[in-house]
Amino acid sequence: MRLTRRQFTIGTLIAAGTAGMPLYVKAQGKKTIAVLFDGLYSPFWVAGLDVIKQDLTRRGYEMVQAISDKDDNRQFEQVRAMLARKVDGIIIVQTDSNAVIPAIKAANEAGVPMVHFNRPPAKTEAFSVAVVADNRKITNATVEHMVEVARKQGGKFKAAILIGNLGDPNAIGRRDGFFDVVDKNKDIIDVVARIPTEWNADVAFAGLTNAFQANPDINFLFTSSDFLFPQIVQAMRVRNNFHPIGHKDHVIFGGFDGDAMAYELLKDKYLDADGVQDLFKEAELAVNAIVDLQEGKTVERVLLDPGFAIHQANLEQVRDRMWGYTIYKQKNG
Amino acid sequence: MSGLLMAGTRSAGPRRLLRHLLFSEYLVLYLSVAYFAAVVPFVPQMASAEVMRNILSDMLPLLVVAIGQTFVLIVAGIDLSVTSIIAMASVAGASVMTGDGGYLAGSALAVPGAMLAMVAVGLAIGAFNGFCVTRLGMPPFIVTLTTMMFFSGAAIWFTTFHTETSSIANLPHGFVVLGQGNLGGVPNALWVVAAVGIAAHLVLARTALGRRLYACGQNRNAAAVSGVPVARVVAAAFLISGACAAVASILYTGRLQTGTPILGQTILLDVIGAVVIGGTSLFGGKGKVLWTVFGVLFLVLLDTSLKMLGMSLFSVFAIKGAVILLAAVIDAVRTRFAARL
Repeated sequence: MRLTRRQFTIGTLIAAGTAGMPLYVKAQGKKTIAVLFDGLYSPFWVAGLDVIKQDLTRRGYEMVQAISDKDDNRQFEQVRAMLARKVDGIIIVQTDSNAVIPAIKAANEAGVPMVHFNRPPAKTEAFSVAVVADNRKITNATVEHMVEVARKQGGKFKAAILIGNLGDPNAIGRRDGFFDVVDKNKDIIDVVARIPTEWNADVAFAGLTNAFQANPDINFLFTSSDFLFPQIVQAMRVRNNFHPIGHKDHVIFGGFDGDAMAYELLKDKYLDADGVQDLFKEAELAVNAIVDLQEGKTVERVLLDPGFAIHQANLEQVRDRMWGYTIYKQKNG
Repeated sequence: MSGLLMAGTRSAGPRRLLRHLLFSEYLVLYLSVAYFAAVVPFVPQMASAEVMRNILSDMLPLLVVAIGQTFVLIVAGIDLSVTSIIAMASVAGASVMTGDGGYLAGSALAVPGAMLAMVAVGLAIGAFNGFCVTRLGMPPFIVTLTTMMFFSGAAIWFTTFHTETSSIANLPHGFVVLGQGNLGGVPNALWVVAAVGIAAHLVLARTALGRRLYACGQNRNAAAVSGVPVARVVAAAFLISGACAAVASILYTGRLQTGTPILGQTILLDVIGAVVIGGTSLFGGKGKVLWTVFGVLFLVLLDTSLKMLGMSLFSVFAIKGAVILLAAVIDAVRTRFAARL
């Protein structure tokens, strides 16, 4: 039997349509949540994605993920692609709090609930829910402990802060939380270096190295994110500045996030205090919000994770609530 | 004898078809259609009107930058600075019109003033690139690589003067609709891009400048001997590329409603890839606006399908890289075996 070109074309189209049917039916049967992250450039985000995935799987959802690699436009396109794919909800970590607004509006128009994970959008009339850590308060608690250590030690301190990308409200909250406390303690603390990192490890390393060159006597250091610890430790080691608590040249050291390296540094007594975000609670709040919005329930625009500060004095008592400790335990038994 | 003739006729058919496909300027369009047909069974939503609209809207800003890049590639150059032009123009324009203390905030001139500033940024950087390449004899790769680095940094530095955060928001509605609205059911961006595309096509196909651009790309010395003002022609290509990147910046900034210094930083592979996939030669002297349209269509189609499949970013990079490499290989094969078929 010979096929004409037209018969072949029609046959191919029918075959293609039939082949697509089972996939379409499958997609109809299971609810899908799109999880769109800005990047996986710190353990916090890697663990966050993993925890969300576990939570969604446990509840019977299918998860599709996409990473925008710090590209606002790509993330906007990803949101539209997911809306076209008819997902049932979107959990997003945006690159920029302003540039995400058109994506929220697109989700609103499509009637798809959107939840911001750990990074709120800028003020807008478009509706979405943000699950955020109380960055300022957690930083307050962390830096207060560092100041307490400084006061006990006595003397004057030259401080440096590594500041995150200021397009990220978390970075602003942590910066403000730091200055809330140090500004009240100007009698003993003088901030000599404000180091912008843009949440980039290389930029942080270069900035901190320059800060140490300009002020070799920096002895009070706070990083707005734990993922910069390897670079900080390296920069301090190079200058022979990295010493444990109790050593005469120990730099009073604090961080924010609560990752596994933070726990290790606390345990080894190199780190004085760390602000911990309750990652498990944040993931649960995000998924709950999606479920509630799908069911038409009212959800607050901001859901707060109060977090906590972990330090040498309460390490044993609260470490089980630290997500980094969970990861550390899994790795080290 | 008749048997030999029959065999010859039989083999001539597929050969003719192969030649037609391989050497057709519509090859990438055929590939796009074939790819679409292949991917639809896996992602049925690709065939929906919504996704078609998305593909069109994603194509538009990328196409404008790619058209500018086509001009530069035709003269055997390369413009790596387009991404920083997009970023710099974005924050410069936003600083003029933002409601949060913009230079012309609240004025009726805010939007046209901002757009003018954006195009001026593109032209200025393009002119600088052209000057360095033609007057100082520097390689385009080095010139545009360094201007890319400089203006990427300058865009962030410039932003810090206008806002506490990393982006400039609160842009006027009149500007935002340019990137998002539509006129007579046709997206505003499409009118803009169509105008740029038609103008670019006419310049390349119907004007003395177009002929001179191809001549410079094929053999710069021969062109100079023939009386072509090579320096001015090459500089014009960079100027056009800068202006096109600025127009793309207007569209991107409008769609995101935000002036951001990281805008477009990751699209360089897409821009050059789309032009090369279309068939424009990296060695100069060959290229058409229509080919670039097909190249952008193919790349956006690929990108959209991978997004819809929920592929990881790293898989997307790998697949896109492989496709661009394949396009370059096909180009080389086409050139090498042109005489044999």
